Formats: sequence, structure tokens, C-alpha cells
Amino acid sequence: MLSDSISTWISRKLESARRAWFKFARNPLSVVGLVIVLGVVLTAIFAPYFAPFPQHAGRYVDFGAASQPPSSTHLFGTDVFGRDILSRILFGFRFSLTMGGVVLSLVVVPGVTLGLIAGYLKGHWIDAVIMRITDIFLAIPPLILALAVCSVLTPSLFNAMMAVSLMWWPWYTRLTYGLATSLRSEYFVQAAEVIGAGKPRILFREILPNCLSPILTKMALDMGVVIILGSSLSFVGLGVQPPKPGLGTMVADGAKYLPDLWWIAVFPALAIILLVMGFNLLGDGIRDLMSLEEV
Amino acid sequence: MGVKGYVAVFLAILASLLICVLAMASTEESVVRTTWAWPTYIDPAVGSDYSSSVAFCNLYDPLLMPTADGGMDPWVAESWIVSEDGLKYTFTIRQGITFHDGSELLAEDVAFSVERLLAIGEGYAYLFYGKVESVNALDSTTVELHLLEPFGPLPYALSRLYVVNKDLVLANLEDDGPYGEHGDYGKKFLLTNDAGSGAYVLEEFSVSDHLTALLFPDYWAYVSPRAPERIEMLGTTEAITVRTMMAQRQLDISDQWQTSEGLNALDKMEGVDVASFFDGSEMYLMLNNTKPPLDDVHVRRALAWVLDYDAVANSVFPGSEVAVGPIPQILPGHNEDLMPYRQDLDKAQQELAASSYADTIADYTMEIHWVSEVPDQEKLALLFQSNCAQIGIDIEIVKTPWLTMIDQAALPETTPHIATIIVAPHYAEAGAMLETRYHSDNTGSWEQMEWLQDSTIDSLIDDALGTPDTAIRFQKYRDIQQRLFELAPAVFMIDKVEKHAFQSYLTIPTFTSPIPVMGYVFQFRLMELDLDQKAAAIGN
Amino acid sequence: MKTLKWLGKRLMHSIGVLIGLSILIFLITRVMPGDPARVALGARAPAPVVEALRQDMHLDEPIYVQYYFWLLGALKGDFGESLFTRRAVVDDIKEFLPATMELALCAGLLMAGIGVFLGAISAKRENSWLDNSVRAVAYLGIVTPPFIFAILFVFLLGYLLPIFPTMGRLSTGVAVPPVVTGMVTIDAIISGNFRAFIDALWHIFLPALSLAMAGIAQESRITRSSIIDNIRKDYVGAERSCGIPERRILWKYLLRPSLIPTVSIMGLDFACTLGNAFLVELVFNWPGFSRYGINAMLRKDLNAVTAVILVIGFVFLIVNIIVDLVITYLDPRIRLGAQRGK
Repeated sequence: MLSDSISTWISRKLESARRAWFKFARNPLSVVGLVIVLGVVLTAIFAPYFAPFPQHAGRYVDFGAASQPPSSTHLFGTDVFGRDILSRILFGFRFSLTMGGVVLSLVVVPGVTLGLIAGYLKGHWIDAVIMRITDIFLAIPPLILALAVCSVLTPSLFNAMMAVSLMWWPWYTRLTYGLATSLRSEYFVQAAEVIGAGKPRILFREILPNCLSPILTKMALDMGVVIILGSSLSFVGLGVQPPKPGLGTMVADGAKYLPDLWWIAVFPALAIILLVMGFNLLGDGIRDLMSLEEV
Repeated sequence: MGVKGYVAVFLAILASLLICVLAMASTEESVVRTTWAWPTYIDPAVGSDYSSSVAFCNLYDPLLMPTADGGMDPWVAESWIVSEDGLKYTFTIRQGITFHDGSELLAEDVAFSVERLLAIGEGYAYLFYGKVESVNALDSTTVELHLLEPFGPLPYALSRLYVVNKDLVLANLEDDGPYGEHGDYGKKFLLTNDAGSGAYVLEEFSVSDHLTALLFPDYWAYVSPRAPERIEMLGTTEAITVRTMMAQRQLDISDQWQTSEGLNALDKMEGVDVASFFDGSEMYLMLNNTKPPLDDVHVRRALAWVLDYDAVANSVFPGSEVAVGPIPQILPGHNEDLMPYRQDLDKAQQELAASSYADTIADYTMEIHWVSEVPDQEKLALLFQSNCAQIGIDIEIVKTPWLTMIDQAALPETTPHIATIIVAPHYAEAGAMLETRYHSDNTGSWEQMEWLQDSTIDSLIDDALGTPDTAIRFQKYRDIQQRLFELAPAVFMIDKVEKHAFQSYLTIPTFTSPIPVMGYVFQFRLMELDLDQKAAAIGN
Repeated sequence: MKTLKWLGKRLMHSIGVLIGLSILIFLITRVMPGDPARVALGARAPAPVVEALRQDMHLDEPIYVQYYFWLLGALKGDFGESLFTRRAVVDDIKEFLPATMELALCAGLLMAGIGVFLGAISAKRENSWLDNSVRAVAYLGIVTPPFIFAILFVFLLGYLLPIFPTMGRLSTGVAVPPVVTGMVTIDAIISGNFRAFIDALWHIFLPALSLAMAGIAQESRITRSSIIDNIRKDYVGAERSCGIPERRILWKYLLRPSLIPTVSIMGLDFACTLGNAFLVELVFNWPGFSRYGINAMLRKDLNAVTAVILVIGFVFLIVNIIVDLVITYLDPRIRLGAQRGK
């Protein structure tokens, strides 16, 4: 009996996954996005194996091989320290992905929770306090606050992630707040209240599942934005520190050597664009998927 | 209106802009443009970095003028007499020098400048602080300077005393200030105005990005017949901007912070040359003597033996020379008998083995901080890191903005283990370097990040500085250098060359025989601008 | 009347936010390690001079005392002195803020002009090659960070084809028009100096374009999809059957409601513009407020950092209020709804 219901459950999940994939794959661009993202993630994880010169991403200098244009040994050329740019880019993906992943993981849970509480308890003083604080953080363009915090601390990827997380959560609170406020007057919520369900249960079992699609969509699209933010911070000198191969850092360093040693800046720039494009296409695909499902 | 109309208007705007652009192509005016690392402070009591010093050298006149061979020429002061005890200097002030506003330069202006410099205490004041007791103008052409103790190199230091127009400053005081009856001592006024008598008159000063000045027709000293009528100092060192402007002949001399790759590219440009000269500065790896394991002289010497000096002098900073001791070789008072360090891994291992950290050295990770505004220093840091790895020493690289470096230098706890710093002497004599670099009174500065604090060295330096006789003083300097060499408080890396790309239609005599005092190489009145050649170059 | 009441409430709300922001920023900057007095005066300054400056800046007092002095000064319009430029921060703001505002406004104009225009023609010729190429370019505009555009433009149009200058607001030698607004383009027009006006436009074009790229891309996409959605709506069909010419339908009756989502995004885009301005200002050496802010942060110029963040917050709040007002005006449903006292 039990095994029957388990196998039915599995086959039902598989069926809905197949359907979802079918819907998702209708737009070829979304598939391209997925391929790019998966490709980059795999490359980042297995960088030491994919990179032709993995040690160049760390402590390495060889003036004899410096400033070489793209060739068969060094597909993307070498920089002024003699390091292989392709290898450094592959390791650089690690920093970008870490930035996006860490920031989103840190930010989504507190942001969404606060938004749920504030939205459901609309009119209560807790709501006012939460939303006032959110407003303060939303009062300035995101980059400025991140810069201010970054500049106080010693520049590093870790501190940049903390700074960006610190001012990213309000967006999720605002989003969830809007969703929760409109949902709290729905029938199923009122029904749960009538039967005496506790507030946490209502929040997490009734309201949250219905907010998921916009939140997930935003998360996917946010990856691209956070990666751009991270590379901008590195470009200014507040993110990944040299000699670590952060993509934004590499563009900033390479910009000095344009136009002669163009490859030092151009390839990392293209890498950033590729990465962000991947997440954007993927995010668009997820959004289409979610909205179609609702319909 | 419709799509077509919209597009038409847009194209019309674009076209008219292009026409105006072509009309405003660069002209062959008599102007020399240069790029600098900003900020610049044109108040001679406030500024002290390179671009500020260049401004002083052109807008103001110093009491004495340094020469290419390291001597001092009379300038505002025509002559001086020193008292027997070395405590009183009497200067005779030259007559016939006019300030930019037309008034005459008198002894009271000189006295006022000294008082103002000491009261404000910024910029080059530290050269005189604690040494000068008082100053007074005896009459319109005589100034008396009283010292607290004999100060042998005083004439050299006076190349940093710039004479300010007393009446003009007093007429522009802000009453609300910390200097009693002198209000703010004219600091606000001199932030954006000039009160000088120099070869150029300030025309426009934008705090954030540029300075322009015009040739002063009534200047008393020599002005080359083809000196530029106008000079512009632009506050940017962006590689691509420098490149573009050089190519279009809109920039005449580049700053010294371009990368070697950038300079190579500029050199290849037609009509552009690269000048390279020793500016009297030396680049050090300053070792924080208070932080273990650097508190052991053997570890410090090991680091001195492990660095690949040749790679530094040939690959990282091509054109420079390996240093010989703590003082740059072109500075008067340098000890030529010292042996330069060269890479010797065996000696490095021996020194390491002789230290108290022989067995535990692997437990220490030392940080090397390089200055982010000097990109080539990153190469140096990576090189040093790989050199040290060969004897088992672990190095971490930290990119540090200049202002953070200054901040970190203030306390021994915050000073990094190793810092790559360039130090230039404040006046053209070894004593200047020794005092700023190794005297305990000057700790907490970016020029002395070793925290040596050795009382023997202190008293030797004080004694040397108090010796008015040059030959004896220089002998004392040599002795101090020998001791410092053995103490190895820093790694004495290279005598740095200063490199500037410049247009070949500009002749700059000071590039070929440079004056070893920062800023004086850029006395624009000595330069010669060939306008015909410039017009031809623009045409290309 | 209702609008005024709403406006009043928003302003009160904004003031509250600004005060909260000032406390937040103040705490952040004062927590910084390091001695700002020593950094300001340089390492070789004699000890009594440094001590005097520390006293002047109240650096040794507890934090709420420092905040009190700061607030007192701020209300009088005195934000202290910048350690970098050595003059009142207010003077710095007066000099640099208009430069950034000018840049942001030009970027905004480009975004609105080019973005909406591209979106409109793209929508009109849906699925044509024009539409698809605009969409592709717009997409690139969204995924490329602004600093890459800045470097690209400097390289392509400043170096390879030296059409545009790559630094400053005016060519040296062109007299700065007398300061009225601080925005060189406007001041030049006011004083009738045509040459300066063209020169200023020539200088501002590349930085403004770099800044506007992402916004242009966004605006064109949203305008396009918004128009496409509306085109299918009933009222367009009704207008057609009434015999109103097609062009008029597109520009007068279609564009206005389609612009509503565009305008609301514009507010957000303008904010991003202000935020990203520093990247462009750094690359182009534009003497603007954001570059001043970044340098202040890197140099731990406390007074300047606090003032910069507050000013940007203030500007952002005002822009949001304006955007909300514009949306209300554009959308008759909201306006009429308000009038009916909903």
C-alpha cells in the first residue's frame, strides 16, 4: 500500500516536471540560458581540471611570458605578470557565482520573513516599524550604501558580500509585503483563521506558497544584478582583491593596457556579459514558466 | 511629427555637433599641458606632494634655488651670513622682485612666510619645526633667522621656503579661524588663489581637476624665450586618456605613474619621446621592525638577500638601478663604499638559520602592502612572494590605496610587515633622507614605516645635522649609512627613475640635467616650445 | 487639494526617512578605524597641530555627542570640512552636485528619448528584422555592466575614432559660463554662450550615453511590450473605426497609457543612474558628486561621506515623489479615482 502511494507520488512529480520542462523549453533562449548557467557552474566547480594553467590563478609570476597575445598555448593570451587569462577567468567565475549565491541565500530568508510578518499584520505597530526600517534602506540607490559599508571595512570579497546583503534584503521585504497584504484577505486565509490556525502556520503554510513564484523569479533575475554589482565593486577596488582573479578586478587592471594589450580587459568583460546573460535568460524562462503555470 | 521627423531632427543635431567639433580641433597655442596625480594644494604652507611642489616652483619663488649638481643658488636671498655659533642666519633680500599684484617683495614678506608656515604647521613646515626659534625683518632687505640649535643643512631646506605676499594675504583673512589675530591665516584664500612672485600667475584652479597659469611678464629671473605662455596641470593619470591626448597633441608631458607597457606604447608614437632620469628617490621594502619575525635582524637580512634585485631593476622598473644602501646614489653625502645587496639564496638561508625564528618561520605569514596608485608595484609584490617561497617564507599580497597606507603608517600595530614605498629627499642632501627615514622623531609617517627607534642612530643623526662644515658632516653621514646597512631595517631596492612621455616639439633641459629636489624639474619657464614643430605634429 | 494632502504626507514621511538615514550613515562612518585627523594633515604634521584638529572635530567625545554637533551644524547648512579638498563640504556639494545632476538628467533624456523611441518603432514593426535587432541590442544593454560601456565608448569613440573628448566638462580654453545652476549646458544657454554650450554637450555625450545604456535597454523593452499589449486592446479598435489616423493613434492615444509602466521604471532607472554614476565618472574623470563620494569613501573623508549619502538619499526621495506625481497625471484612472474620493 505504502509503496503504491510512493510510486504514484513519484510518477506524479515526474509527470509535472516533464510538463514544466516542456513549457520551459518552448523558448529556445531559455534553454540557452540554462546551458550557459550550468556550463559556468560546472566550470567553476571543476576549474582546477578545466583550466590549462590552474596555478596561474594564484601566486604566480613569469615576466618572460608576459603580455602575450592570444595564441594556441594561451587561448586568451597572458597578462603583464605572465599569467594565463583563460585559466584566471575560469577561476574568476567562482568569485562571481559565490557572490550571487551567498548574497541571495543570506538575503531571501530574512527579507521574505519580515515581509510576510509585516504584510499579514498590516496596521499593527510591528508592520509600521518593519516597513519604516525597510524604507530607510530603500531610500538610497543600492550601490551607494554598499560602497559606504565596503569602504569602512577592509576591501575583500567577503566584506563586499556582507555589504551588498545588508542593503539587498529590503527588496524582498517590499515584494513579499505587497503579496502578503493582498493575500491576507483571500478566502483560504480567512478559512484558516476561522478554524483557529496559529499565525506562523498561516504565514508559512498558506500565504508563503502563493508568493513563491514572484520570489523565485526575482531571485533568478537578481543573480545577474548581483553579479554586475559585485563586478562593479571589484572594478572600483572594493571587491575581489588582486592578485585574486575576480572578473571585475581583471577588467579594471586590463583597462590600463588598452588598446595594445586589449585581451587583458576584453575577455574578462565578455565573461561577465556571458554570465549575466545566462542568468537573465534563465530568469526570463522561469518567469514565463511560473506565469504560465498560474494560468 | 512621426518617426521620420524624429530621426531627421536627431541627425541634424548630430551633424551640427560634428561640425562644431571639427571647428574646435586643437590649435597650436603656446601651452604646455601635463598630467598629475591629484590632489594639488597650491598654498605653500599646506601642500607637500609632487603636484603641489610643482605648483609652488612655478607660482612662487623660494628663498634659495637648488641646482642640478646638488648645490644651492641665491634666489630671493642674495647672500647670507652665519653667526659663529650657527644659531643666527642673516639674509640679504634681493631687490626688484615683484609679486603678481605689482607690489615689491620685501624682507617683511619673507619673515611673514616663515611665521605663517610654522603657525599652520602643514606642508613643508616640519623641515623647520623645532629648529627655527624666531624670524624678524630688520629692514626692507634684511631678514634674521634664529635657530634653537645648529642646523647644518639649513640652506638646503630653504629651497622649500616659498615667499608669500604678506599684504595680499592679510587683506584676505577670514576672521573666524584658529590663529588668533590672524584668523585663518588666509588658508581659505590661498586654497584657490596665488600670492606669489613666481614665473607664472594662477589663472584658474579647480580643486577637483585642473590648474592653469599664465606667464608673468614682470618676472625678475630668467625665462626662456620660447617658454610656454600658458601652463595647464590636469589631474588625471588614466592610461587611455593620457594615450589619446598625447596622440592628439593635447597633452605635452605625461605623469610619472604610467605603466612600463604604457610608456613603451607612448614611445612608439611618432613625435613622442620618453625621458628617464634619476629623481633622487629610492624605492624600499620597508620592514616593520616591531612585528615578529621582523624584530630579528637575521630575518631582515635574509629578506635582503632573497630578493631578485636584477629582475626588479630590469623587468619591473626598467631603467632604474639597484640601490646601494639607504641613500640614493645621486644624493650628496652618499656612501659609495657600501656593497649593494644582490640575490643570494645561500646567504639568505644562512641568515635565516642564524635567527631565532629558524624553525618557526613557516608559522608566520607576512603581508606585503603595495600602493594601488603605482600598478607596477604589484609585479614587485608577486616577484617578492615567489622569491620568499624559495626559502620557505610565506607572503600575502595586499593592494593598498595610498591614503590607507598613510593611515596605517601612524602606529606600529597598524603598520604592515612589509610596504613598498618610494621616498624622495626633501632637500638635496643625504641628511634630509637620514632624518626623515630613521630619526625617532619622524616615526608614524609613511616615509618611515620601520619603527627603528634606535637611540644611537638618533644621536648620530642629530650630531651630523648640527655640523655646519660640509665635509665633516658628509663623513658622519657615511658612518650612519654603514650602520644602517648592517641593521637592515629595510630592503634597499632600487634608485628609482622617473619617466615621463613628452612631445618632441618640447625641449626640457631639466630632464637631461635634473634638479634632485621634487618639483624643480618642472619649472616651465626653462622649457622651450617649438610652435612650428607643434603645428606640423598636429597636422599629422 | 487631495494631491496637496498626499504631497504633505509624503514629505513628512521622507523627512523621517532622511533622519533615520543620517543616523545610520553617521554610525557607519564613525565606526571606521583610523585617525581622520592624522590622515588629513599628513603624517609629518607636528603633534599639537593634529591634536588641535582632533579637538575641532570632537573626535574624542562619545558618539551621541558627535552626532549632536553634526546635526546642529547640518541644520545650519554646515556639514563640516572635507579632508581632501580642505574646504567646507557644502562648497564641494555646490560645485560637484550639479555636474552629476547634469549627467543624470542627460542620461535620463537619452533614456527617455532613445529608449521610448526604439521601443515604439520596435512595437510598430513587431517581429521585423528591425524589431529583432533592437531587442537583441537592448538585451546586451541590460546584461552589460555600465563600466564596460564606459571603457568601450572611451576606447571606440575617444581613442580609435577620436570624435569625443574623454575627460572634463569643457575644453580648457573655453571659458566657463557664469554659474547660475552649476550645470554648464544650461548656464551656457542662459548667458548666450553658444560655443560653450556645444562644447559642454560634446563633453557630456559619451558619459551620459554610457550611463544611459542599461536604462535605454529597459525602457525600450518595456515600452515595446506595453504598446504591444495596448494595441490589442479594445479602445484602439474603437479609435480606428472612428476614423482617427493611425499615426495619431500611435502617438497620442497609445503612447500615453503605455508610458505608465515606463515612467514607473524610469524612477527606478534614475536611481540606478545615480548609483552607477560613479563608475562612469571615474572612467571619464567627470568632476561629479558620485566620484567625489567614492573618493571620500576610499579616503575615509567622514564629513564628505555622510553628506554625500544624505544628499543622494534626498535626491532619490524627491525623484520618487516626482515620478509618483507624473504617474498620477498620466493615468486618468488614478486621477479620476482620487477625485471621486476613492
